[in-house]
Amino acid sequence: MSSETSAGAPLIVKDVVCGFCGLGCDDLVVEVAGREVRPKASVCPEAARLLRRLEPAGEAGPVTDEVYDQARRLLDVARAPVFAGLGADIEGGRAILDLAIRHGGVLDHAASDGLFANYAAVQRTGWLSTTLAEVRNHCDVLLVIGEDPAAAFGRFFERALPAEALFAASRHVIVLGGSLGASARRQLGGATVTELAADDPVAALAALCQMVSGPAPRGASFGGAAAEALAEAAAALKGAAYAVAVWNAGSLDRADLIAERATRLVDALNVTTRAGVFPLGGRDNVIGINQLLLWRLGYPLRTAIRGEASEHDASLYATGAALKDADLLVWVSAFRPEPPPAFDGPVIVIGHPDTEFATPPDVFIPVGTPGVDHAGTVFRMDSIVSLPLGALRVATLPSVAEAVRRLEPVR
Amino acid sequence: MRIRLRGGRVLDPTNRENAVARDVEFVDGRVVAPTGERADAEYELGGAIVMAGGIDLHSHIAGGKMNLARLLMQEDRRAYPEKILPGMSGSFCGCGGGRAVPTAHATGCRYAELGYTTVFEPAMLGSNARSAHLEMADIPNLDTGAYLVLGNDDFILRLIARGAPQEEINAYVGWMLKATQAFAIKIVNPGGINAFKFNARKLDLDEANPHYEVTPRTVLTTLIRAVTELGVPHPIHLHGCNLGVPGNDETTLATIAATEGRRLHLTHLQFHSYGTEGDRRFSSSAARIAAMVNANPNISVDVGQVMFGQTVTASADYMSQYRNRGLANPKKSIGMDIELDAGCGVVPFEYRDKNFVNALQWAIGLELFLLVEDPWRIFLTTDHPNGGPFTTYPHLIRLLMDRDFRNAQLATLNKTAQAHTLLGGITREYSLEEIAILTRAAPARILGLADKGHLAPGAVADIAVHDENADREAMFSKAKLVFKDGRLIVRDGEVVDLAPGTTHVVRTEFDTAIEGKLDAWFDRTVGLKAKHFRIADGELRGGRGPTVLTCVGGAS
Ligand code: SF4
Ligand SMILES: [Zn+2]
Repeated sequence: MSSETSAGAPLIVKDVVCGFCGLGCDDLVVEVAGREVRPKASVCPEAARLLRRLEPAGEAGPVTDEVYDQARRLLDVARAPVFAGLGADIEGGRAILDLAIRHGGVLDHAASDGLFANYAAVQRTGWLSTTLAEVRNHCDVLLVIGEDPAAAFGRFFERALPAEALFAASRHVIVLGGSLGASARRQLGGATVTELAADDPVAALAALCQMVSGPAPRGASFGGAAAEALAEAAAALKGAAYAVAVWNAGSLDRADLIAERATRLVDALNVTTRAGVFPLGGRDNVIGINQLLLWRLGYPLRTAIRGEASEHDASLYATGAALKDADLLVWVSAFRPEPPPAFDGPVIVIGHPDTEFATPPDVFIPVGTPGVDHAGTVFRMDSIVSLPLGALRVATLPSVAEAVRRLEPVR
Repeated sequence: MRIRLRGGRVLDPTNRENAVARDVEFVDGRVVAPTGERADAEYELGGAIVMAGGIDLHSHIAGGKMNLARLLMQEDRRAYPEKILPGMSGSFCGCGGGRAVPTAHATGCRYAELGYTTVFEPAMLGSNARSAHLEMADIPNLDTGAYLVLGNDDFILRLIARGAPQEEINAYVGWMLKATQAFAIKIVNPGGINAFKFNARKLDLDEANPHYEVTPRTVLTTLIRAVTELGVPHPIHLHGCNLGVPGNDETTLATIAATEGRRLHLTHLQFHSYGTEGDRRFSSSAARIAAMVNANPNISVDVGQVMFGQTVTASADYMSQYRNRGLANPKKSIGMDIELDAGCGVVPFEYRDKNFVNALQWAIGLELFLLVEDPWRIFLTTDHPNGGPFTTYPHLIRLLMDRDFRNAQLATLNKTAQAHTLLGGITREYSLEEIAILTRAAPARILGLADKGHLAPGAVADIAVHDENADREAMFSKAKLVFKDGRLIVRDGEVVDLAPGTTHVVRTEFDTAIEGKLDAWFDRTVGLKAKHFRIADGELRGGRGPTVLTCVGGAS
């Protein structure tokens, strides 16, 4: 929803699209009064925090030409820059990519750890997955591996398992190695919930997988989960018309192994019934930037452009590792005030105006927030659906795309 | 800016010019009648063949499934690194690489080098349309467009199941074409992808969907009627039931009969022309099917020729791709149920000439090419990348134009396959004029692009110039010159410039009363509001918006 107020009269804006966690809620209600933004309804705590603008008077303003000049000088002398954070909409991503193509350097996103844990499984065997609308309407048994999804994706259950479904006759949520909080329970309403404690979810999941695909493994418990409870879960999954497995690789230890076992579990289920993985993640448009790199460079994030070629390496070009050999960090974070990681060399931050720094960067270019200050496109966590963010107020700061395009050499 | 091409021979089947020696002139991106006026640039062609830019009406170049394929097949990308473009004065454009699933830039550049200037993505999902358009915006040197996949979406199946009037179906189709900025309607395995979500593993033409009890035949005839009544120029673009299944020849014949004379385009027909004869229960039905195509002027087809080597198959037909995933090479594959809309399956594949099935698939494709008589109703495709990458087109053209070459290739294939094909006995060789029909004149006509595919005054100055060469593969591998909208983009087979393309869309009239229902459907059932599903004109081609073809609705 694109709506702006010029005067100070409060305006209720409905159907606001949210680009923060990757779940893609598009029904938020906010009140806008001049430069103030107050979340009103259909907003999770994370979105409420990131949308709220209460003291615009103290906001950082746009920076001067000199600041851009300084950034340009740093870029010109850098031999091995790292472009990280990359919290930007697609247009911002395009601009950063063009900049990286011009200067060379490594590209990675702040939220890519989970993505690459999952890719360890995808690139080896592939997987069978599903998207939000399918989960909403088909899923009768949902397997949650690890923590409560509502912790990082506030409205997950409300969105994924609403009471009304076209096809699912009932809803059963099985949580392996975690438990659901009050918010999740409230969203789930009448759904059945089974919590299965496990101190080693990888081992428990492996056993569950084996129980689904063939003769049950021998033992009284696996990874701390009772064999009997696991067998019940396996039976529920096999009996489902459409089972779905979710996990947040960004918050799990050994997430690559979880992804690999969940993939195997879903493969096994599909022999007789239908099932899909639905990996959780997608904060700050990490999926969109990753998609952009795939169609532009042919590689996902964690790719280095050097000379006239690019090269991908999921460990070598992860931000932390890449910074060891870098001589410049360009940190982009437009969705939230997230400071850059510690780095010895020069740092350019193109970021949220409220960012607080332990050490001030060499250059700070405050930018507007996509979905608050300007329109933009972001991808949902399933990588299929992308959404148009609107502007809620007149921007005083440039977008990432505008700021980065100003870093192009002066002609 | 006036540009003149002198001393070429014009091959323009639309205007019945068969290698006519004359000048071609264009001003500001449009062809004009030749004048004596001073030109800003002149090119001496020395008898080279001048044609309209090539048009590929079926090539998977954008959208989520291609990105999944890129992700899965990093080896393809690594094996085909960035191409240095000396003609671009050494300027690196970040053009990426890849062969089976090239990047957006590589797609635009490789197509341009072959003389193509317009390519249609044939399987855009509504739920993924925004992403497909973002990707198409990054393809240089090509105009694009996309066919919207319908017929597996729960909205239409619900309409059909409850016996909604055709007007309501038409309104939905019209709304969807506009909302997703699409150019035509594609049906992939009619209702089958949806049935797979209810655990059906196959769905024949007259088999009922386990949930909706709607048959593929009904989906097909309902949508044929919709595009006919809405006046969409391109007929329904159909990827039929039972892709790749031996015995699907009967389905294909029954599908043609089901049209009852209405227009229908059967895509990648090769994959749907399999009989069950012989010890291996796998045989060619190309002759039967070609005869049926010949007898039914309402039918057009593209072949989806198999070309040997490594590729990756990417299709909305998750039902079929799931069935074929055991054949994956390398051994990995991706499948996805998508958004009450459709699905997708990505399966890497290596077609091997010594393999009986693959060799026979190759022969079946060529049999179809050579046995379908009317060059205006058959199109040159490999279903890129499913049968092979589009970069193999020059080789395919030589196979069609050069019988000795074809038979020499045939002689190297799997021996049993050789014994099961008529190919060696077919004497037909395509003429240059016929190739020009297959690759530009006929696609423009069947897509309703009046100012493309020919070189009469008023045509878009998308022009390909090829030096004559008896080795047709060499001739078509590197265009001598290519102009996009009058701008030189290729010289001597090398890209020298990147021109922005446009995206073609159609708009039809439709009853807007459907909007209330769609608002409720998207909001409550899909979980995404209709207004956010809808793509604004300004979201296409970096804000430049689409090129709109307005349809005039007709009677059914
Ligand atoms: S759950 Fe995610 S998408 Fe939904 S409102 Fe919260 S942050 Fe936004
Ligand atoms: Zn295709």
